[in-house]
This record gives sequence, structure tokens and C-alpha cells, in this order.
Amino acid sequence: MFYSRTLAAKRLTTHTIEFPYTRTLGPVNSAFLTGLRDGQLLGIKSRDGRVLCPPTEWDPTTGEGLDVELVDVGPGGVVTTWAWVVEPTRKHPLDHPFAFALIQLDGADTGLMHAVDAGSIDNMQTGMRVTARWKSERIGHITDVEAFVPEATL
Amino acid sequence: MANDIAIVGYAQSPSWRETDLTEPQFLFPVISEAIERAGVERREIGFTCAGSCDYLSGQTFAFVMNLEAVGAWPPISESHVEMDGAWALYEAWVRLQHGDIDTALVFGSGKSSPGRPSEIYPLQMDPYTLTPLGADPVSLAALQARALLDAGRITEREMAEIAARSRKRAIGNPYAQVTGDDDPDSLLKEPYVTAPLRRHDLPPISDGACAVVLATADKAKALSNRPVWIRGIDHRIDIHQPGMRDLTESPSTRLAGKNAGVRNAKVDVAELSATFSYQEKLLCEELGLGDDVDVNPSGGALAANPVMAVGLARFAEAARQIAEHGKGRAVAHATSGQCLQQNLVAVLEGD
Amino acid sequence: MTDAKQDDAKQDEAVDPNAPVVGMDYFMQLEYQEQLCPVVREFADALMEKRLIGHKCPRCGLVYTPPRGYCPICTVQTTKADEIELTTRGIVTNYTVVTPVQYYGQEATEPFAKVSLQLDGGGNLSLQDMPNVPVGQVHPGMRVEVIWAPDAERNVDDITNRSWGSAEGAIRGWKPTGEPDAPIDEYSDKGF
Repeated sequence: MFYSRTLAAKRLTTHTIEFPYTRTLGPVNSAFLTGLRDGQLLGIKSRDGRVLCPPTEWDPTTGEGLDVELVDVGPGGVVTTWAWVVEPTRKHPLDHPFAFALIQLDGADTGLMHAVDAGSIDNMQTGMRVTARWKSERIGHITDVEAFVPEATL
Repeated sequence: MANDIAIVGYAQSPSWRETDLTEPQFLFPVISEAIERAGVERREIGFTCAGSCDYLSGQTFAFVMNLEAVGAWPPISESHVEMDGAWALYEAWVRLQHGDIDTALVFGSGKSSPGRPSEIYPLQMDPYTLTPLGADPVSLAALQARALLDAGRITEREMAEIAARSRKRAIGNPYAQVTGDDDPDSLLKEPYVTAPLRRHDLPPISDGACAVVLATADKAKALSNRPVWIRGIDHRIDIHQPGMRDLTESPSTRLAGKNAGVRNAKVDVAELSATFSYQEKLLCEELGLGDDVDVNPSGGALAANPVMAVGLARFAEAARQIAEHGKGRAVAHATSGQCLQQNLVAVLEGD
Repeated sequence: MTDAKQDDAKQDEAVDPNAPVVGMDYFMQLEYQEQLCPVVREFADALMEKRLIGHKCPRCGLVYTPPRGYCPICTVQTTKADEIELTTRGIVTNYTVVTPVQYYGQEATEPFAKVSLQLDGGGNLSLQDMPNVPVGQVHPGMRVEVIWAPDAERNVDDITNRSWGSAEGAIRGWKPTGEPDAPIDEYSDKGF
């Protein structure tokens, strides 16, 4: 649905689109989000023995369906690339400057994208180790990890 | 063996930071001009294909409203892709291969000014792991830029030089939005927006449209004394999850370029949809374009970024180089998704 | 099991903290802010003066209200020179009765009718209200006239480029004139 309101001074109109979704998960995402609720990061084994995190239902290179065999990964890992967000948007996980990063969690062979709450751009570098800072109340959501933090600070 | 298809007409709107016209209203004269320049009758066009994104417009079936600019009476044969107009061109090219019709109208359009791109595009990402983080195009591009910087494949200075060069070339382009004679050193003094990207590394927010008319061989020769032949065209897509890709490469660009036959002969000019400065260098490397190629004489996507039309506009600009400026062989490139995940490459030639 | 016991069982199931997570909520919200295009600005300004305007195509004579700035059939642009003032009387050509489902964002609770109108002298409006007529009495052929919002309340705050012919805030709706219904051949080709 959308509704509109004119801002008279500039003949601007604002309209908003809102949809409340509840998404079904399938067995792999269900296992992944259940793990997050329980404070555990999970990856999935591909046919060639790699561990993929975030876990996918199909091997991204061959397209084969993967057995729903999830393994523990993390909570620590290595930053393989990062970006410093100076002015977070409303949709970002943190409301103060932070880094987005690809994090190769211990035990995984791929990068998970998430936030690193490093405090300052000076505290970020490729290759640094980070670890998950969990929310105390978790529901089964990627943001059950509030952010990753430099391992040195924990 | 594919049939020869040529570009016989093209037109663009200027790219505006914000227009007070509706999308059908600014699309209307662009379509009329492309048809007129092609010299075809509107009602004889065999197929119409459009590229646009309803989420960008903020209205379901916005693309249907855009058909008012085409004149869909008597009823026409048309299609739509929720993609850049370059993919609409690809579909029209495929349609023309059947040989039963001889002309097609293609267009792309979009208003990026009303919405917030940083909030719209995360909705295209994996809904479980990326959308809820608000993973936006600038952040994702910044991850790729950092990976290239770390690998020694580019420097921040080179990025600023690409931006400065784009703005300078754009001075000669009446449709461009961001122009200027900037000094890379001054640009490098500006603060990061999302490190390592500064404002000049990012595309502008643009409203705009582009239309192209295609014709099969006999029709093209009858319509134009310099048809722009599409010698090869291909598109490929890479994995979605950024953490499962090597962000220092774009294998889909490489493969699409190979299949389109980029390296079969010398390339004079290339119009590439490098929406972030660093991407221009990566694209040239993946396509095998050396220093002898004139890249983005229009200023490219850093000078004007009418999303959904920007890729098709590269076709229009590459065609212009051949039809109006006497160049022989050009590459046109369009991209979709983040970090050059999906890429379309075409080789255009004049006789 | 009785209904009450079944409900209790469902309630217990819902709070099991060890059951697998099977759904993920996502509240999608996007805001768009755009300028009213010039031709709709003119339409809105006219409504504030209790005037309904449209553009008449110089080629085919079709009347568009709100005006679009072009005729989509003839593919010619229309301008202020093609502006005409429309009458605010017409015939109901079609209608639908909406029974509101209580989905997110639905504010109506009772069935309501939306009508399409053919205005005397040219112009068509759709999705119009007939607030004073019981839904069961709305029918094609009814002769109607406009109900303007009173001067103090009349506004065009809710008009956008995408208003689909609505003029909320300025036109409250339409009311029967009391005249006999129009014969069907006066409006049968304007069903939408």
C-alpha cells in the first residue's frame, strides 16, 4: 500500500511503500538462523570439501544441491576486505561509523559480510582478526550478531 | 550463425540531478527522436522492449505507464525487463533473429532522485544475509575497491585520475551531468564517503532515459548510409554472495567479452558502464583493452548515471562514435548487480 | 479435542524456545519524494479554485484528466494550449464495491463503492467516491454532480504524479442529481 502527503512549500510529494514480510526459510536457512538464535555460526559443506558461510542451498560454482550438513564455524575470523562507513543509513546495523567487511570465519572457506564495530577507521586493516559480539536477546536473524569486533578488544 | 542486426537510430535525454517531469513525460521525446532519426514509421516497428525498475520508480507497474510514451495503439508486441535497457536491447536482438520482423525499439529509463538508492538496492540482495544489513551499492563497491588496492591492482590516485578524466570528457557531452576540469590532487584531499571511496569515485544520482532503434540487415541498409552493426553480443553473471567471489576479478566480463569477440580485431573506442571509478580499470583489464583504446569519450557513468538507461546509453554513445565520428570498431558494456556481478558486452562496427 | 483445548495446544507450540526457526520477518519500507510535475501542478491549482481541467488531444479529441502532457494514442505532446475546463456533472459508467480485507495498511472497515465517470462534454474520472449513496444503490447510468470540499477544508495535499485521477481533499465525491438515469447507449463505450 502507499499513501502520500504534499509538502506544500516545494510542491514535493512524499509517498511510502510498506510491506510486512515473513519469509519462509527452507532447511538450510532455517538451520543457519536457528544456529544464530542459539549463539552459533554455521557453514555448510560443499561436495569438494569446502565450508561455505553463509551457508547456501546449492554449491555456488556447480549448482549442485548440497546435503543439509551444517558445521560450526567462528566465532572468530579474518577480515579479507573492508569498507569504512562514515555516515550509516537507517538500514545499516549500527548507527555510528563502522566497517562493513568480508570475514572468513575460522573453519570456513568463504567470506561472510557483516559489520565490524572497530570504533575508528584507524583500527581497521585487511588481515585483522575479529570475533562476534552477540546480542543478549536473539531471535534467529543475521543481526543476532550485533557486530564483529577486533579480537584484541575482547 | 547470428543474423546481422544494426543500430539505426538513438536518442537520450540529458541526465538531471532531479527533474520535475514524470518518467513517461521525459521518455516521450526521447522515443520520438530515436524513431525519427532512424527514419522508421512508429506503427511499423515490429517489437518494443523496455528496461526499467519499478522499485526505483516507487510504483508497481510503473513500466506499464511508460508505454504511454511509445504509443501502444493499435496494440503492439512488446516486452519488458526489470534490468538496464541494454538487456532490453539484447532481448530485441534475439527477437530479430527470427527474421519475421525487421525493426525493434528499445529504451531504458529511470528516476533515481525520488528514492534513496542506499535503501532501494539492498532489496536486490540475498534477503536473509544481506538485505537485513542494508548492504548498499557504495559499501559493496568500497569492499571491491579495497580488495583491488590491497592486491596492488589500482591506487587511489589512479581512481582520482579516472574521475577527473571522465568529468573533463563529459564537458563535450550535452547529456552529461557531472563535468569539470578537476585536478586529481585536489580530489584526493576530499574526505571519504565510504572508505576507500570519495565522492568523485561514486556515480551521480541521475534521472534520464535512452532509446535505440534496431534493424535487420536489409532494412538497416535501406534506412542508413552508416548502420552500426552489432557484430557480437553476450552477457554472463557471476555468483551473488560477495564473500564467495574473488572481488579482484570479473570473470563474467571476461567471458562475455570473449564471446562477443572483443579481441577479434582492434578496438577504437569503448563505452563502459563503470559506475565507480576503480571499475574502469578492472573492466579494461578483463576486456583486454589497452592504452590505445579511447575509453568513455562521453564521460561514462561517472558523469551521468541514469540507472536503467546508463548501459543502453553506452550503446548510444558507442554507436555515435561510429556513425558520427567515423570510428570503426567499438565496445559497449552494461552491468547489473553489485561489484560487476553481471555484465553485458557488445562489439559494434561500421562498414 | 475441543476448540479451546486445540487453541491451548497451539499456544504451547508457539513458545517452545528450542523449536527450529522457520520464518524471518522483514518490514520493507521505502520513501520517495518527488516534485509534482508541472501539468499536475496546474490540475491541483485549478481544483483549489473549484475547477476541473483536462487536456484535449489536438489530433483525436480525447480528453485526459488529470492531464498527462501528451496523448498516448496519438503520441503528440499536449500543452496549456490544449487545456480545457471540464464540467463537474456526468454519468456513472461503471463501479465496483470493495469489501475491505484487513491487510496491513487497510483503513476502511465497511464495504465501499468506487465509480468511473464520464463527464458531460468530455473527460473521464475513475476511482471516485459516492459517499452519500448506499453501496447497493450505486449503478451505471446514474447522473451525478461533484461534491466539492468546503473552502476552509479544500486542499490538494494528497495529489501526486501517480494519483490515478483521484483528487482527494478537493473533491469529496459525487452525488446523484435526481435526474432519470442516462440511457445505456450514452455511455456504453466508456466502461473503464
